[in-house]
Amino acid sequence: MGVVTANIQDPHWGMYIVWYFFLGGIAGGAYFTAAIADYFGGPRERQMAKIGYYIAWPLTVICGILLILDLGTPSRFLNMLREFKWQSPMSVGAWGLAVFGAFATVSAVLAYFERGPMPVLSLSEADRLRYRRLVGLVGTLAGFFLASYTGVLLGSTAIPMWTESRLMGALFLASAASTGVASIALVAWLRGLDLGETWNRIHRFDRFAIVWEAVLLAALLVMLGGAAEPIVSGRYALLFWVGLVAIGLVAPFVLQLRTGHHSGRPTFALALPALLVLVGGFVLRYVVIMSGPYHG
Amino acid sequence: MAATMTQKVMYTDTTICTGCRACMVACKQWNQLPYEEPEWTGGYGNRSHFSDKAWRFVRFIEVDDPRPSHKGEVQWLMMSDVCKHCQQAGCLEACPTGAIHRTAWGTVDIDQGICNGCRDCVASCPFGVIAFNADTGRVNKCTFCSDRVPAGMPTACAKTCPTSSIRFGDKEPMLEMARARVKELKAQGFERANLYGDSDILGGLNAFYVLADSPSVYGLPERPELPQRNVNLDSALAIASSVVIGLAALVSFRDQGAGRQG
Amino acid sequence: MTTNLIDIQNADVIMITSNMAENHPVGFQWVVRAKERGAKVIHVDPRFTRTSALADIHVPLRSGTNIAFFGGLMAYAMNNDKIHTEYVAHYTNASMLIDDGFGFDDGMFTGYDGDAKRYDRTTWRYQTNPDGSPKRDTTLRHPRTVYQLMKRHYSRYTPEMVERVCGIPKAKFLQVAELFCSTGGPKKTKTGTVVYALNLTQHTNGVQNIRALAMLQLLLGNIGLPGGGVVALRGHANVQGATDLAVLYQDLPGYMAMPLRDVHPDLATYLEKETPKGGYWINKPAFFISLLKAWYGDAATKANDFGYDFIPKREKADAYSQQHIFVDMYEGKIKGFFAIGQNPAVGNPNATLARAALAKLDWLVVKDIFHTETAEFWRAPGVDPKSINTEVFFFPAAPAAEKNGTLTNTMRLIQWHNMAVEPPGDVRSDLHFWYHLGKRIKALYASSTARRDQGIKALVWDYPEEGKHAEPSAAHVLREMNGYVWAPDWKDRVQLKSFGECKADGTTAAGCWIYTGVFPDEKTNRAASRQIDKSGKDYLQHGWGFAWPANRRIMYNRASADLDGKPWIESKALIQWDPDADNGPGAPKGKWVGRDVPDYGPTLAPRAPKNAAGPLKGVGGNDPFIMRPDGVAGLFAPLVDGPLPEHYEPVEAPTRNLLSKQQINPVAKIWQVADGRNEIAEVGSSKYPYVLTTYRLTEHHLSGVMSRQLPWLAEMFKSHFAEISEELAKEKGIRNGDLVEVSTPRGSIKLRAMVTKRLRPFTIDGKTVHQIGIPWHWGYVGIAKGDVTNDLVASVGDPNVYIQESKALLCNVEKAAQQGVA
Ligand SMILES: Nc1nc2c(c(=O)[nH]1)N[C@H]1C(S)=C(S)[C@@H](COP(=O)(O)OP(=O)(O)OC[C@H]3O[C@@H](n4cnc5c(=O)[nH]c(N)nc54)[C@H](O)[C@@H]3O)O[C@H]1N2
Ligand SMILES: Nc1nc2c(c(=O)[nH]1)N[C@H]1C(S)=C(S)[C@@H](COP(=O)(O)OP(=O)(O)OC[C@H]3O[C@@H](n4cnc5c(=O)[nH]c(N)nc54)[C@H](O)[C@@H]3O)O[C@H]1N2
Ligand code: SF4
Ligand code: SF4
Ligand code: SF4
Ligand code: SF4
Ligand code: SF4
Ligand SMILES: [Mo]
Repeated sequence: MGVVTANIQDPHWGMYIVWYFFLGGIAGGAYFTAAIADYFGGPRERQMAKIGYYIAWPLTVICGILLILDLGTPSRFLNMLREFKWQSPMSVGAWGLAVFGAFATVSAVLAYFERGPMPVLSLSEADRLRYRRLVGLVGTLAGFFLASYTGVLLGSTAIPMWTESRLMGALFLASAASTGVASIALVAWLRGLDLGETWNRIHRFDRFAIVWEAVLLAALLVMLGGAAEPIVSGRYALLFWVGLVAIGLVAPFVLQLRTGHHSGRPTFALALPALLVLVGGFVLRYVVIMSGPYHG
Repeated sequence: MAATMTQKVMYTDTTICTGCRACMVACKQWNQLPYEEPEWTGGYGNRSHFSDKAWRFVRFIEVDDPRPSHKGEVQWLMMSDVCKHCQQAGCLEACPTGAIHRTAWGTVDIDQGICNGCRDCVASCPFGVIAFNADTGRVNKCTFCSDRVPAGMPTACAKTCPTSSIRFGDKEPMLEMARARVKELKAQGFERANLYGDSDILGGLNAFYVLADSPSVYGLPERPELPQRNVNLDSALAIASSVVIGLAALVSFRDQGAGRQG
Repeated sequence: MTTNLIDIQNADVIMITSNMAENHPVGFQWVVRAKERGAKVIHVDPRFTRTSALADIHVPLRSGTNIAFFGGLMAYAMNNDKIHTEYVAHYTNASMLIDDGFGFDDGMFTGYDGDAKRYDRTTWRYQTNPDGSPKRDTTLRHPRTVYQLMKRHYSRYTPEMVERVCGIPKAKFLQVAELFCSTGGPKKTKTGTVVYALNLTQHTNGVQNIRALAMLQLLLGNIGLPGGGVVALRGHANVQGATDLAVLYQDLPGYMAMPLRDVHPDLATYLEKETPKGGYWINKPAFFISLLKAWYGDAATKANDFGYDFIPKREKADAYSQQHIFVDMYEGKIKGFFAIGQNPAVGNPNATLARAALAKLDWLVVKDIFHTETAEFWRAPGVDPKSINTEVFFFPAAPAAEKNGTLTNTMRLIQWHNMAVEPPGDVRSDLHFWYHLGKRIKALYASSTARRDQGIKALVWDYPEEGKHAEPSAAHVLREMNGYVWAPDWKDRVQLKSFGECKADGTTAAGCWIYTGVFPDEKTNRAASRQIDKSGKDYLQHGWGFAWPANRRIMYNRASADLDGKPWIESKALIQWDPDADNGPGAPKGKWVGRDVPDYGPTLAPRAPKNAAGPLKGVGGNDPFIMRPDGVAGLFAPLVDGPLPEHYEPVEAPTRNLLSKQQINPVAKIWQVADGRNEIAEVGSSKYPYVLTTYRLTEHHLSGVMSRQLPWLAEMFKSHFAEISEELAKEKGIRNGDLVEVSTPRGSIKLRAMVTKRLRPFTIDGKTVHQIGIPWHWGYVGIAKGDVTNDLVASVGDPNVYIQESKALLCNVEKAAQQGVA
């Protein structure tokens, strides 16, 4: 007989990485959604933006911890910053996470000290808001980066399913937007914030993100063809079709169409699609990461 | 270890490999790699993948004889596989810490003192060579005997190979030998004989092969490519996606008149 | 072997019948070099192996049908004008006339005694002239010439017959015959070499298999020439040394017969019976008495037959082979046993019998570098240690790297190695063990007056001791083998330079005359010499080690030149006669010169008449085979089972013998063992329908002790397996990796099925015959464990040397319950 197998070595990227990709996406997505809303929106949007900043900052910290824990030699995490390599998404990503972390920190601090006395820096409240919006606008770029580079990273490996995936970064970005705004919605609902009309904006944006994600996903599957086997018909098919497509895309899209909101305490109906989107976002990362090196 | 050192290569002529696996054992011994539970491959091979404890392994392939003169007969191809020491090396490009580097003699090695075990290189080798070592938390692969070559010694596997199927030496003369060998094999009826690892493959492999049949028969990618070739396009598409999403956010959340406040 | 591994590179065609690439992987580099020079390689093996992978032609042959194949090749050569006529006529006994009483009928040679199951060989002899010399017809036309007898004998071995018996398609046979016989012919221009090992020996006609191969080489004129010869690949690293030094029961060192009690009552009778009238062996008395002198020194005097009576004598000619010993042991005839560097619990045929036999011993000493299955037989799977009464002593042995000494390899090359590290703890060399055991025994018997003990007392046992463990000096042992002018003290012993210096008068001592020259003076150990000639002038590398005899690398090299002493083939010159060479004042001119040490009288001119006296008495100018009394190679040679190789089926065979009514070698040895421990499957058995062969793998070593216990080797092949063709697997519903049970009338073992295209069923006489293959390296100790293949093998033997028939037997295979498949 004699066995000839594909030239694949499993990098053993497991749950740390799945969570990192998922939470990193949320952080980036929540941040850029918040920052754009903060800059271009009205007061309600600014309230919503604060939630986004508050989400992004701790998640960034968690992401850093997850990445360090995933290293074979965690004590050497600083070696990530020994060099900067344009062509290495892992390298650029490490730097990117650091840069994003800086923006997220500044934004979160400025959001926290929106009013009242502020330690260390004595900025006027108006300046604080101005700087926050400006910082946010620039930080949006870092947010986009964090939300999508993980997909580019997969695409630059030699794992067959990943290396054929030209749209993974784009797809992860759409998912990050969707999960980012969903997480804002969820927190808003948890805290019972009356965001009024903004709820509908949130849903509209999320619907758009879902549609965009679905379009990219479809395009990706078409491009992958047979290489998508483990996802569409193989070992991870059930999770993919139910967890991502049905629960993560179709259901929230439909649910959001049916809910309209104008004022008062948010109902669970407003939060449910967000919850489903988050499930879908997690399943996407999980399926993609797990199925890549899977062979046999 | 002068920067001017000539390019060193391992030229493996698979057509004179007897599959004795002395090279595997030599590698394990020189590098003191421990025992690893083998797999049942269904043939003489004891593994079908590299691992952190097996930097070289012999592939045994039972096929129909590629020579038209031997139609209908069985042929047993053997190939001692190893890190290709690519001139365009996916692992090296991926490595964020700089642990993976090119040596003065053109090969690719990992500095165990720098590697932090992120495993991006593992995913980025088109040949599935590098493997994670759970004991050290770092990754391993063939070092091209970087603890022998600077001392003027051939690699341990090449030194051991009884038929000199693996030859160690300077790049140019070895490539010449390999090209001549392909011609000979073609004349002997191996119509698909080829040199795998001339400059057409990843800029040239410092561990190159003469094969009796197509690369895929040996489980090698026919046309491996540098995985990082995708970075620019993927990034552009991600940026485009960002623009779309960004505009959607802008449209969704922009202040629609009246309530605009300072 | 007649030649040298390095010389294989000069061959134009190489016919390998063993599994050389796997079992002699380092020597195989010379086959690869020959291939690179354009040589063609033929591999004859029932299986497609790693040797076949590098061959140009693979010839699948049913195990045990080698003589049918070689006979077919000989017939082809003789019928198609492929013999090297002049060589055959003058350098072999093809031209001798054979006694009119000799004949052959339907599988039997003249003189068979059915009751005694042996041949009376009196008619298997030459017709002689009045002066006693053989009658000869160098035109080879006389009907009683060996050549004409052979021609008739092998006329039955047609390509069609080869196809029916061996399962080799006729077209393939003809292709091989044409290719290999292209190295012969009256106007020979090429040379061919043949390679064999156990593939030919482990049969009940093992010796005749080898003879057939050698005869083919003689017919083609391939022996003695560069790129020719018979490459006999040997086994263990030092098995050549072991046979040189008489590990075989019928020999004394240097291939002199172990005396028989009744045949050789005293020295004079021994020498009279054992010394031929012509050829180099006429010097045997000098070698033999030098041997006695080396052993008994001053106690060996002319008056006491040089201590001839001290040597134990054989009672029977054939009772002491490994197989005999274990059958005797099982029958309780043996009380104690030393297993020093062997593992019969796994390696012996009928290994269940071997282990049962060990249990009948009072004591067993195992000295080994690992714990072996033999040392652990009392707790083998299924054995209750309480039921074993044998006392087992285990002595840790130092392997080669931990001691000084020599190994003599397959090309008779004696190579010295130095100790690399001190053996740890209680580990001692085998030399240390035997030497100190000998010293203690001598001390115990020091005061004995019994006649039988006098040899022990007389034994010279004076190797200098070195180091803190009183290690005897291996260099002095080698000096003794080389020989010296006898003197009681080492300091007075002057080393002999060549065996020509051995004397029959008791003035010289030589422990193994063929080794003389390896230590020509007390400072020069040629076995330790490591000179390499890179210029290409000395391609045989005479500066590396020392090859016996006399550092000669290619034996019978006189045969590389024609009757005038000129090379048969200019490009394949080895030695040749230089008529103008000056031999010093007064001496006639002319001597043999060339690239090797002449295997000949250095100044014995071509066409010279036979010497009437001197060390080469009976040898003339055109008699290259100087060890033979008639100076020529023996195509016709009376072994116990016939003067010409004849095909018989293995003792267990799937078919009747298609060549004659005689099914098996009529004198093959089949042991009758009590308790049904050696049942034999009948011809064409339906219960055991498949041919089974056993063999080795590169990654493991013999009984596996030295490889299954080493992690790096154990992981290369961990599971024991049987190679099974896809066709048989399909018939039996067996998938690759399944656990299967293979059984013979002796036992059954469980192992994994390796289903492969590399084995294919044979068509034998129109019927499909399946063959399966099982490597035999596994046992119950170590990292890689498995059942013992030899539990399947029978206690049967070749009648000349009693080697087991482990290459061809019958078995059954069935899918087993799939438990514990890793
Ligand atoms: N790596 C390694 N090398 C070794 C050894 C080892 O254990 N491991 N053992 C050493 C020893 S002690 C010895 S004696 C030698 C033995 O060397 P080999 O003789 O080469 O050894 P085997 O593998 O026993 O048998 C050789 C081949 O004979 C084939 N065969 C079976 N029946 C027949 C037949 O009737 N005709 C022909 N032509 N072929 C047949 C088998 O399929 C097998 O491939 O190897 C030595 N070298
Ligand atoms: N079925 C089947 N059976 C066979 C064969 C076959 O082809 N098929 N082949 C046969 C052949 S050719 C052979 S040679 C025999 C071999 O059979 P064995 O000789 O019984 O087998 P080995 O495993 O070689 O045993 C040699 C032992 O010597 C030990 N040893 C190594 N070096 C030293 C040393 O320096 N000193 C001491 N004291 N011990 C040492 C090793 O550890 C090992 O245990 O098997 C025979 N049996
Ligand atoms: S074969 Fe793989 S590990 Fe080796 S240099 Fe190329 S990319 Fe790196
Ligand atoms: S695992 Fe080590 S060698 Fe590989 S990419 Fe990461 S830091 Fe570099
Ligand atoms: S070059 Fe050295 S490290 Fe690489 S496979 Fe050969 S022996 Fe192993
Ligand atoms: S040592 Fe040489 S011949 Fe043996 S398996 Fe390795 S490459 Fe092949
Ligand atoms: S084990 Fe020793 S004797 Fe056997 S092939 Fe290797 S080097 Fe030669
Ligand atoms: Mo052997």
